[in-house]
Amino acid sequence: MVKIFAAGVLMIFLLLIVEMCRRQKLTFKYALGWLVFAIVGLAAVIFDTYVAMLSAWCGFIVTSNFIFFCLMIFFIILSLFLTTFLCQQNKRNDAMAQKIGILELELQDLQNDIKKRHG
Amino acid sequence: MNSQKILAIIPAFNEEHCIAKVVQELRSLNFTIDVLVVDDGSSDRTGHVARSAGAQVLTLPFNLGIGGAVQAGYQYAFRYGYDIAVQIDGDGQHDTAFLQRLITPIVKGDSDCVIGSRFLSPSAGYRSSIVRRIGIHFFAGLISLLTRVRVTDPTSGFRACNKKVIKVFAQDYPLDYPEPEAIVEVQRAGARVSEVAVDMRERFAGRSSIRYVKTLYYMVKVTFAILLRMLPAQKRG
Repeated sequence: MVKIFAAGVLMIFLLLIVEMCRRQKLTFKYALGWLVFAIVGLAAVIFDTYVAMLSAWCGFIVTSNFIFFCLMIFFIILSLFLTTFLCQQNKRNDAMAQKIGILELELQDLQNDIKKRHG
Repeated sequence: MNSQKILAIIPAFNEEHCIAKVVQELRSLNFTIDVLVVDDGSSDRTGHVARSAGAQVLTLPFNLGIGGAVQAGYQYAFRYGYDIAVQIDGDGQHDTAFLQRLITPIVKGDSDCVIGSRFLSPSAGYRSSIVRRIGIHFFAGLISLLTRVRVTDPTSGFRACNKKVIKVFAQDYPLDYPEPEAIVEVQRAGARVSEVAVDMRERFAGRSSIRYVKTLYYMVKVTFAILLRMLPAQKRG
């Protein structure tokens, strides 16, 4: 029952991501992480015995702890990735603002020149 | 001096009460200097006042902070082939009477970047609070130790640089609290850094942006940034 519930939730999540890509609310580049998350999650639900084996091999006594640990790592990496992306966008924004400022000044100078030439 | 094309870069954020005086001082100097005020997204009449005082005004669409504003000035200087760019605060702290002294080592070819220092010689000028002075001496020690260039006033934004450094800064300039880090950047780019003694004044109006918790952030950020700059150069995107 739990397996069906978990698989159902993950399936809905997967379809939601696909739909968001279809509606162009998410680009593939940024949807990829979520798609991988949903697919790996589904695989873990279907092959749960392998998850339990891997958990034991890593030294976890309770499998759910292992799953929570994996989730935590996933979200930490995702946050780091998003922070990097944010910094990159911030830098691009700044560069664009500087460019706009310079171009605006140039435009103003040109307009003043034209005004002078035409009296 | 006259053969050199000189640009004064004045980053200004809500400095409507000071900016006109700074621009007028620069325009009354006995050598030709173009004045560029970088209006860093001010919500007051800074841009209008600066323009009325006779400056060129580069208006940024939103506030980038001191680093972004100064870099925009250097980009302008690079684009228009200026030989020397001088950085001056928009709050009136930097006494333009010392401008010639600041530029002279560059004109003579003795230095690529000259910093106006409050601590190079005993003076009666404004030297900021004791807490700030401790911070300044800490950064001075750190930079001198790491770069082997003796610097006494690394937080001074009163500086002049030649074409070589203009190019470096146009491409890459630290974003927030940039002055100490910029010295390391210049030194790492193979440029010569030197200091000349200047006096500074208290700001004409307004208050410094570095207060309270920001002071702690400033110390940590700048130290981290300086140490990071000392690592082997990476291509910065």
